[in-house]
Amino acid sequence: MSLDVPAIRAQFPIFERKINGKRLVYLDSAASSQKPQPVIDAMVQVWTHGYANIHRGLYTLAEEATAAYEDARAKVARFINAADVGEVINVRNATEGINLIAYSWGEANIHPGDRIVITEMEHHANIVPWQALARRKGAELAYIPVTDDGLLDLDVVPSLLDDGRTKLVACSVMSNVLGTLPPVTHVAEMAHAAGAIVVMDAAQSVPHRSIDVQTLGADFMAFSGHKMCGPGVGILWGRRDLLEQMSPFLYGGDMILTVKQQESKWNELPYKFEAGTPAIAEVIGLGAAVDFLSGIGMAAIHEHEQQIVAYAMNRLSEVPELEVIGPGPTERGAVVSFWLPAAHPHDVAAILDEEGICVRAGHHCAQPLHDRFCIPASARASFYLYNDNHDVDVLVEGLHKVVRLLGR
Amino acid sequence: MSGDLYREQLLDHYHNPTNYGVLEDADIDIEMDNPTCGDEIHVTARLDDQGQIEKVMFEGQGCVVSMAAASMLTEEVVGKSPAQISEMGLSDVQELMGGVRLSMGRVKCALLALNAMKQGLQEAGKR
Repeated sequence: MSLDVPAIRAQFPIFERKINGKRLVYLDSAASSQKPQPVIDAMVQVWTHGYANIHRGLYTLAEEATAAYEDARAKVARFINAADVGEVINVRNATEGINLIAYSWGEANIHPGDRIVITEMEHHANIVPWQALARRKGAELAYIPVTDDGLLDLDVVPSLLDDGRTKLVACSVMSNVLGTLPPVTHVAEMAHAAGAIVVMDAAQSVPHRSIDVQTLGADFMAFSGHKMCGPGVGILWGRRDLLEQMSPFLYGGDMILTVKQQESKWNELPYKFEAGTPAIAEVIGLGAAVDFLSGIGMAAIHEHEQQIVAYAMNRLSEVPELEVIGPGPTERGAVVSFWLPAAHPHDVAAILDEEGICVRAGHHCAQPLHDRFCIPASARASFYLYNDNHDVDVLVEGLHKVVRLLGR
Repeated sequence: MSGDLYREQLLDHYHNPTNYGVLEDADIDIEMDNPTCGDEIHVTARLDDQGQIEKVMFEGQGCVVSMAAASMLTEEVVGKSPAQISEMGLSDVQELMGGVRLSMGRVKCALLALNAMKQGLQEAGKR
């Protein structure tokens, strides 16, 4: 089931580009992935041949655009095995999806003295909305700690759930820094047994492996299109019974059934949560991305990435003094963050850039996690279906150059 | 573009910074960080009778750009008045660094030490 990487790469026009005269080695897909031609074509097709506003017009173009938009939603629903397309809400990005839950579900259901539980390995998108909600409501925000190995310390979880004050547990399905794949389904079982709902940030998982929301254990799950070969849109999936009970997040056109001078009635799901004109071409582009990934096969993509990450961790151990943070290759996805005592991550990224290599440097929107490991920042290489072991070799060569320049 | 960032002159200042450490009896004592990249700097300085910079020292951790800029600035600002320093900007730091071109992401690194000095002088002026 190995991937034909050259054939995959040939579908991404960006790989024709040279960076500083070198072949582009793109190792920052955890931040945002590159886009294949079919996704670009789908969006160009909408704008050049099939664009109109959706859900309104009675003319041919509007009907075509509406059908394409709703067809994309159905593709996404199938991709995550949602029971019902009404549970798939188009938002701007995963961050907006999490904010939607915090504002809509959170405002109605979190009360003074309640507890919200998150983990130390969250992206800021899954920290700050809960911090703000806890502040607004006088609730407590508690963290499931991360062990030195970069795993969730599950022994602590019962003490955070047993008193019945916890109303919501939010966790990442895969850490964007450590790559850790925590046992989220187990965490969800514990949370549900304690009467809490579970929100999962799947921005790093949906692009890389098959996710089934009917067995995952989440009540809500947010992810981003731009990390999965698609454009800048996000998806919030939620259980219908919960979404039905919730008030809208944004108010305006399209989310209403009727509007009177003093009151309005809300539209049905998912439109209740899609106020205003959405990113029509982008949603359709995401549908094309789902087709593209499904055509290659999520199991094959996952297996390919597991092989690269194991190879990368092995080869990175050759670089003097380099320390990888997080668990071993079998317990992580295709992300490797590392720290070189002799070189600031900014310098690592800048020197690698001279070699055409794109890595992320900084705290990767996870400052509390870096505090936990007592490092100010790290450099991160992340892999996707268009990367191969040769990219890892180029990275390691580049890191040897960093050590030559900046090591003492 | 970033190629000349790592030439010898800057690397020299990075590996062997001038005026590295903490000044005793400092008139200015300020810490500043750049939370987006984790750079930290601690600047101490003494003023002479005319209120001009007599000596500056710094310590901290950060990338080549922030540390080399800090090292070079500690030499450059000696004898300057707070007013002169307040007028310094990115172009002055770039010139000090041999006309290096900086990408947008590195501008904050280059300015960290200068901004710390400016704020330190401002705070000292208020006392």
